[in-house]
Amino acid sequence: MKKFIILLLKFSLFSLVFYSFLIIFWGRFAPSVLSPNLNFTYIKYGFTNTRLNEIKNFKNIDILFLGSSHAYRGFDTRIFDEAGLKSFNLGSSSQTPLQTEILLKRYLDSLTPKMILFEVSPVTFSLDGVESTLDIISNDKNDFNSIKLALKQNNLKIYNTLFYSFFHSFYRDLFDEKKYAEDIKKGNDTYISGGYVENQMKYFKYVDYPEIKWVFNETQFSALQRIIELVNKRNIKLIFIQAPSTSSFYKSHTNNLEFDERINKYGIYYNFNVISKLDDSLHFYDAHHLNQNGVEIFDNDVINLLVKNEFIKRE
Amino acid sequence: MLFNSIDFAIFLPIVFLLYWFVANKNLKLQNLLIVVSSYVFYGWWDWRFLALILFSTLVDYLIGVGLLKEENGKKRKALLWTSIIVNLGFLGFFKYYNFFIENFTTAFSFFGNEIQANSLNIILPVGISFYTFQTLSYSIDVYRRKLEPTKDFIAFTAFVSFFPQLVAGPIERATNLLPQFYKKRTFDYNKAVDGMRQILWGLFKKMVIADNCAEYANIIFNNSDNYNGSTLFLGALFFAFQIYGDFSGYSDIAIGTSRLFGFDLKRNFAFPYFSRDIAEFWRRWHISLSTWFRDYLYIPLGGSRGGIWMNVRNIFIIFIVSGFWHGANWTFIVWGALNALYFLPLLLLNKNRQHIGIVAQGKYFPTLREFFQIILTFGLTVFAWIFFRAENIDHALNYISEIFSTSILSLPDFKEIYGAYVTLGLVTIFMMVEWFGRDHEFAIEKLIINRSRTLRWSFYSFIIFIIIMFAQTKETPFIYFQF
Repeated sequence: MKKFIILLLKFSLFSLVFYSFLIIFWGRFAPSVLSPNLNFTYIKYGFTNTRLNEIKNFKNIDILFLGSSHAYRGFDTRIFDEAGLKSFNLGSSSQTPLQTEILLKRYLDSLTPKMILFEVSPVTFSLDGVESTLDIISNDKNDFNSIKLALKQNNLKIYNTLFYSFFHSFYRDLFDEKKYAEDIKKGNDTYISGGYVENQMKYFKYVDYPEIKWVFNETQFSALQRIIELVNKRNIKLIFIQAPSTSSFYKSHTNNLEFDERINKYGIYYNFNVISKLDDSLHFYDAHHLNQNGVEIFDNDVINLLVKNEFIKRE
Repeated sequence: MLFNSIDFAIFLPIVFLLYWFVANKNLKLQNLLIVVSSYVFYGWWDWRFLALILFSTLVDYLIGVGLLKEENGKKRKALLWTSIIVNLGFLGFFKYYNFFIENFTTAFSFFGNEIQANSLNIILPVGISFYTFQTLSYSIDVYRRKLEPTKDFIAFTAFVSFFPQLVAGPIERATNLLPQFYKKRTFDYNKAVDGMRQILWGLFKKMVIADNCAEYANIIFNNSDNYNGSTLFLGALFFAFQIYGDFSGYSDIAIGTSRLFGFDLKRNFAFPYFSRDIAEFWRRWHISLSTWFRDYLYIPLGGSRGGIWMNVRNIFIIFIVSGFWHGANWTFIVWGALNALYFLPLLLLNKNRQHIGIVAQGKYFPTLREFFQIILTFGLTVFAWIFFRAENIDHALNYISEIFSTSILSLPDFKEIYGAYVTLGLVTIFMMVEWFGRDHEFAIEKLIINRSRTLRWSFYSFIIFIIIMFAQTKETPFIYFQF
């Protein structure tokens, strides 16, 4: 029996070493079709890497934007700059409250914002957050919080990618960092300093969506509660905003009111689907992302609302 | 609790350590630990149905005790029929009630009589078909005086609920498993190592082969109207490997886990896709069920003793009943009948026992004749699986008619085709390993066993790596849980 247990322990150790070597090899050379559970998205999309590299240049900002692509494609920091508000957009692809919490733990104290505009979307509150975690662990420095997040989500893809990301950051730093610098223009997207991503002007073609109900993931609401506690400890104003979607997409979901009611309980919340006057064909490039015309209207509506409610004072 | 879950990965070592370190000195305590852990294992899925297993256990235990004391033939028969009625009654209610109600109302309305009968929203208790057959075999064997009835209730409860094989078999005979609960178990190092190897291979079959094949089989079968013949053919192939990987993988994990606790379960699969005819296939596929039907249905019906037509009738009965055992749907009945039809020429030509041994034993490759026999048998099996997987008979017939249309000549075409080709590659490698390991109980039992420890461990670690790399990230239940 003792012999069997010792054998198992030895084999486990051997397998761990074997796995470590093989995952490095696999991540480096295997095509994605052969590595379905290793999804290393370093500088692949969303400009997360560039955004996080740039973050150290921002301090004492007026507004910090958080959320998914609705945030980093919706809050144009240039428009807020023009209004005299220094801001940084920390949105990232499919970012759910689970990842927002990690990013705030890492960067809130260095950014020291006066206010946080947190884009809350029923989309992200319905997700498990795996895609966004993969994005963060592939593009950010990993620490103990990454391991905690991985354990919380308990997903093979996250474990493999986290392990490979640890190796990659070492490899990247050791050999040739410049080689891995991200291009600020990719396809139709251009990264704007401050975290915003501008999409080439396009217009949404009407689609009739079938009726569907949001199915919320309760872990996201728990993470939201922890975020509120984290922000409140620092006396930072926190405002929840739902960015607009096309009316066809928005109305296709039958329980939007339920979402509004739930978020309202957590604090100040504005749903811009009912505030901004936008046209599906003119102001969106897809079902739930604004084009630049839409962004300008939305951002000005947000600024006006903040002024009107005296959350900020215009000089 | 699923074998391919974190819960089981924590549960198994705990039970293992308690079994060998805390309860090792006392056989009764070991059996009690098996009972408790088996009930936890089952209750993890739905604790409400524990009462059902307990009741079934109690009934068959008492019937066994009754049969021990009773010498009167009529009373003995009455006791046996009580067991049969109770066990099949539960099975019939949970599994077949709605099927019969719906078919009766349809049949009556066909003849112009409308009857009101409501179907019920019944949850099928996991594993009911398996443990019902296991307890039935006990009562029948005791009735036939093949087995001494047990007075040890704990041992009997452990036999009925033994967690490695409780929910999806192998369906154990009391004559094989029950006596193992009476004997002191001593830890056998080689048996345990072998068990671990079998568990690993079972997990590979389930998590890599079955689950990946399932992804594509589901896409294709669930949207079959949208695809051409060659894509549908590919979908049927994927389902054939899904069901094999899933069920034989489960059996491997069950047998391997039992070995860790010092038990030997029956072999359930013996490389069925290398069979040279359908008779051989059925000697190699779900062996514990086939032999159960042979011993408790086919032989009591007269077997092959009553002339050729009696034999044909009996063959059809066991295949159709076997199909119906899988589920309350006409598709399973047709699947069973189709297999009986496949069997028929072999029976009539008296060639149903011509392939008993291992194909191409001691050789690397089969002969051309054997190769074509294997391909033909596999093709017939895949054809029958279409009925097994389809939602209903119409679905199956439409699926088949598209396969036999000219669109079979075009290339398979669906959105996830590249992933599907990778899965086909994995299946090819898997079948090669199966081929080279077909002389043994499971494919990697003796594979590179004589090589250095570093090489062997690298091989096993590579299997673990492939599982980690290709497993589905969400827990996937085993197909046979629904039966």
